[in-house]
Amino acid sequence: MNERKGKRFLRGSSAWLAALILLFAVLLISLLSAVTIGSTDIPVTEVYRVILYKLFGIGNAAKGNLFRAVWYLRMPRLILAAGIGMGLSVCGAVMQAVVKNPLADPYVIGISSGASLGATLSIMLGIGAAFGENAVGMMAFSGAFGVSILVVALSGAGGRASSVKLLLAGMAVSSVCGAFSNFIVYTAHDREGIRTVTYWLMGSMAGATWEKDAAVLLITILGTVFFWMQYRNLNLMLLGDESAVTLGTELHHWRQLYLLVSAAMVGFAVYAAGMIGFVGLVVPHVMRMIFGTDHKKLIPLCALSGAIFLLWADVACRVLIEGTELPIGILTSMIGAPCFICLMMRKKYGFGGRDG
Amino acid sequence: MKIETKAVEALLNGNHILKGIDLNINDRELVGIIGPNGSGKSTLLKCIYRVLKPTAGAVYLDHQALNSYPCKESARCIAVVAQHNYYNFDFTVRDVVLMGRAPHKRALERDNAEDYQIVAESLETVAMSAFAERSFSTLSGGEQQRVILARALAQRTPCLILDEPANHLDIKYQLQLMDLLRGLGRTVIAAIHDLNIAAMYCDRLYAIKNGIIVGQGSPKDLLTPEFIREVYDVDAQIMTDNSGCIHILFHPGTECRGNDLHNQ
Repeated sequence: MNERKGKRFLRGSSAWLAALILLFAVLLISLLSAVTIGSTDIPVTEVYRVILYKLFGIGNAAKGNLFRAVWYLRMPRLILAAGIGMGLSVCGAVMQAVVKNPLADPYVIGISSGASLGATLSIMLGIGAAFGENAVGMMAFSGAFGVSILVVALSGAGGRASSVKLLLAGMAVSSVCGAFSNFIVYTAHDREGIRTVTYWLMGSMAGATWEKDAAVLLITILGTVFFWMQYRNLNLMLLGDESAVTLGTELHHWRQLYLLVSAAMVGFAVYAAGMIGFVGLVVPHVMRMIFGTDHKKLIPLCALSGAIFLLWADVACRVLIEGTELPIGILTSMIGAPCFICLMMRKKYGFGGRDG
Repeated sequence: MKIETKAVEALLNGNHILKGIDLNINDRELVGIIGPNGSGKSTLLKCIYRVLKPTAGAVYLDHQALNSYPCKESARCIAVVAQHNYYNFDFTVRDVVLMGRAPHKRALERDNAEDYQIVAESLETVAMSAFAERSFSTLSGGEQQRVILARALAQRTPCLILDEPANHLDIKYQLQLMDLLRGLGRTVIAAIHDLNIAAMYCDRLYAIKNGIIVGQGSPKDLLTPEFIREVYDVDAQIMTDNSGCIHILFHPGTECRGNDLHNQ
């Protein structure tokens, strides 16, 4: 009885608002505390002196190595992690609605394979060198975005695009891209290149700069706000196209628009940090377990909790093994999956099954 | 609201499902569509509620072609209780019913107190108020059916289309549902399997077989033993009770007729 009451409370809107404010506070606190943690020991007071100086012009922080470590290494990295966590979680929730399948994640329509093909082309064959030092990221972005457009076009060919057709087109295009990537890797005989590709596919925040942060944050926040405003259509998507028509919305064009917006968001994430799995699948499910499926609540909750999750995951990557840095994609799956399984066993949650 | 279909035809995967259907449904009329499985009832209804486009012919709402309505506009005219409502994700009952307000909302408009009021009233009408916070997927088939009806009611449309609404309901709720539909004072079109229910409540019936209308009229005029034999291929007997209501009694099929009874 108590459990049911608790559940009801959690699904009410006051609880949702409280959770939102709480998560926002946690995100701010996380940013401020995580910045003091790192592989090099920097006194906490020094760290904050740098931040206060940069943000508000208070005091004077030395322009030495310490300053550079805090302001050009740690801060952009944290903010990038938060931005990408936010983007991937929101896109995960949106993709699950768009393809009406709880197994979907941000990479479901072939974005990951497109991105890796782009990266492989760039690393192994040097294509896209014109983009300069960000060639790999830019090629990955082009691959991701190109593939999603292709998948959307394919699923719309020969009649109406349905969520199943979209999934299948995504899988088919994925395997073609995967095969080409493998073909290039196999025929290139480039050990160093293979290592780079592999490392890149595991994801890392190490390349964070303020410029990348600005790009990722801008597109992520715009996308998140956009999807939040679209909550009604996202809810309707889960009812299916037929019910949506009887409720006054033709979802066909919306679906394509949402796919392109998520492709851009995920593409930028891939560009800045490579592939980071699991976040986009799990964060939406965890939020749904607690707060229900209504996207009006789900989207902002996913955004904040995804940001917090990836931020701490990145911190863990830096400090877990002394001297080396773990690729964040490995860590998210290593930590995230068992936590997820725990939740799955404890809570009664259908994951889209009918027995929830 | 008056609903007409003129020579509506539908081809699905190369099968000619509807072969020219003319319906003429008056304002505030409760019309039942009857016919055997696969006769085209659902397809016809889908053409009217816009999920399918007729391959030929057209549907008219108050003499205006349905095609000329924007999707949102037609959803403010017609609410639908479809046959299958499986959702992969677990919404609360209130969330589901609240979606019935979607056609009345502009893109960025928020749900207001009036919407919640309408949702509460709709749930009250189908006796599901106590379930508002429950997860939709945990409800029984009949309860889900009533929630979907509440969603349709929350749309506040002049016309309601139901595809076998009594399917998952026990007899109490079947009668309650039909009483409710009759009391609504709106145009109602329902595909109905149970001929007795259809006879008890409908103002008029259309019978469809193999994609054409094989008969229409008031239940009393239409449902004769000969007609039922022709449409459903079963033997039946019509009884009229004291109140003048007709009841259809079916006889068992030819194989078991007699044998089982006599062997007892």
